[in-house]
Amino acid sequence: MNARNDHTIETPRERQGRHKAMEAVKVLDTLREYAVNPPEAMAYFYELHRRYHCDMTPMHEGKTKVGTMCIQVPYEVIDALGAAPVRLCNGFYTDDEIGGEYLPSKSCPLVKATVGAFATDHFADTPDLVVTPTTCDQKTKATGIVEEMGYPVYEMEFPRVKESEESREYWRRSVRNFTKTLSKELKTKLTRGKLKASIRKVGYAQTLYHRLNALRKAELPPISGNDMFLVTNAFFFDKTEAWSAAVERLLAEMEERVKEGIGAARKRSPRIVYTGSPPIFPNLKVPQLIEMADAVIVADESCSSNRLFNDMVSVDEWFLYDMVDAVADRYLKGCTCPVFTRNDDRIRRIVELVKEYSADGVVYQAFAGCQVYEMEQRSVLAAMEKEGIPILYLESDYSPSQLGQLTTRVEAFVESLKSRKRRQ
Amino acid sequence: MEYFAGIDIGSTAIKIAIVDGTGRLVGHRVSASGSMFYKYAQESLAQLMAEVGVAPEALRYTVATGYGRKLFKEADENISEITANAIGARAAAQEHGEIKTIINIGGQDSKAISMDSEGNVVNFAMNDRCAAGTGKFLDVVARNLEIGVDELGEYHFKSTGTPLSINSTCAVFAESEIIGLLGNNHRVEEIVSGVHYSIAKRIVKLVKRVGIHEGIYFDGGPALNNGLVNAIENELGKPIFVPAFPQITTSLGAAVLAWESYGYESGEAV
Repeated sequence: MNARNDHTIETPRERQGRHKAMEAVKVLDTLREYAVNPPEAMAYFYELHRRYHCDMTPMHEGKTKVGTMCIQVPYEVIDALGAAPVRLCNGFYTDDEIGGEYLPSKSCPLVKATVGAFATDHFADTPDLVVTPTTCDQKTKATGIVEEMGYPVYEMEFPRVKESEESREYWRRSVRNFTKTLSKELKTKLTRGKLKASIRKVGYAQTLYHRLNALRKAELPPISGNDMFLVTNAFFFDKTEAWSAAVERLLAEMEERVKEGIGAARKRSPRIVYTGSPPIFPNLKVPQLIEMADAVIVADESCSSNRLFNDMVSVDEWFLYDMVDAVADRYLKGCTCPVFTRNDDRIRRIVELVKEYSADGVVYQAFAGCQVYEMEQRSVLAAMEKEGIPILYLESDYSPSQLGQLTTRVEAFVESLKSRKRRQ
Repeated sequence: MEYFAGIDIGSTAIKIAIVDGTGRLVGHRVSASGSMFYKYAQESLAQLMAEVGVAPEALRYTVATGYGRKLFKEADENISEITANAIGARAAAQEHGEIKTIINIGGQDSKAISMDSEGNVVNFAMNDRCAAGTGKFLDVVARNLEIGVDELGEYHFKSTGTPLSINSTCAVFAESEIIGLLGNNHRVEEIVSGVHYSIAKRIVKLVKRVGIHEGIYFDGGPALNNGLVNAIENELGKPIFVPAFPQITTSLGAAVLAWESYGYESGEAV
């Protein structure tokens, strides 16, 4: 038909795969390019993200995969029942564009991207069951859309008030029901021993994270914030044991570095606490801009990173029912998500992080269309002003081309922090 | 014998097509626009007439098109390149079948045109204020990579890795992005395929504005680049038809129009 060309044409699926691979490779390349003293042990995570997102290599062959739509789904319960938890929160612009056909144009890019992956069934680990907690409005409403697409969906009821005893009981019941349903679904009985082992396994991963994170308090943080996001984001889909082993190696290398005074930034680099809508690979747009502008992210308050590890399950009595309730409490009481009516804990945590990690300023990013983070910036900005902590508020989405404006704002903020530092 | 000429004066090249009394293409010529459009267009026409053996009195009617069309004073008529492109595509794709959508990438602009089954232009979208994703952009890329424009296709198909994203939407910024990629020891092959995909994505957005209908025709100088054709086909997920001489479609359209107009002018039935 065509004298000049006789090559085959990609299927829509192949095209989507190529687009996503292009996005992923771009970010990994840029991170490598700007890395100051890149750690050797990071190679595992770079390669893991490449394999998972470019080659679509599944991580949990032979296991039932439970896809979670939000951080609030109890990881320990899924693991104890012998299934693999896979967090489906998505950072791809490619999928965001696809999901845009199912959701209002002003909705959150993360939810659009997640729905986009469902619409095209484009997963390295296709979920056998999807769990959506009723946290933010958009994820809550996405439940129906995903169900319409033919996925089995389980909704977990989640309260919107954090402090009351009613919420606590309500959420505990939700977690108990989820445990029962999943146990039936998987034809597996939950035992004391299994849940205890899972709490320990996740708890160990959390301990490693805390030890690694604490090293960033050093005058020269040994690891960049972007590398740290790669590490924490890998927890979404990696096997927990493999992840912990890789973090052990990284930790050993980082401890050496702190002793030798090798850092991932310069002494003069302003130290930043990142907060707001979660950076999820490959959407590290804002964290990358921050570190390209010669600042260093020393800590974060976000649900794709710090919040995964911050609070551990704290068990009073090692009986099955007590353990399930303790797991439920970890997820409600430790949560600093802006879906709650009041969110003083989040402000407290940001201020704490700034002090503990000797940060010079805070960058608060909200996705355009992420209403709760957009709304909460007022109270956070007011609280930071009261504390005398400089803060930059940015709105962004997943599109790769609008970097110009953001770059200028981030660079100006970093420069202002530098001149403050010089004056001190 | 009577002859009719279509002259398409573009930003980069002057394209001339001559058809005979039956509307059949008998000769064409592509030459650089250079700095003196009018003079070069005249010279190029004279040369083509000599090659084909058309005496000056046998050339009955001339239609000029392209963005330098007003400069060619001898033309009997002027038409926009959108109309000429549509007529030319229909003529060039006669054996191929019906054309509904045209993608044209020129030296400094790109267009998407949708046509009805009569060959009338129904809708068109143009990117004419920016050189990103045009032939000029491919020139710049080739120059940066120190390869010829005609080698881009070859490099594209030799690419084995993931194409590299070029995210800047401006030719000037994209150029610095490419220099950065080179500086980081990326292979020329993946840079080239990345460039082709960035152009393809942009043109597909333009095509979506007018509606994608089967029967897609791709012309303009960059259509000579097989790698770019491959990238656009992949982005559209549909086959596209590239004519044997993609650069001259618009001038052919102008020549066909000259032949038709002359028939009407002289009162003969065409």
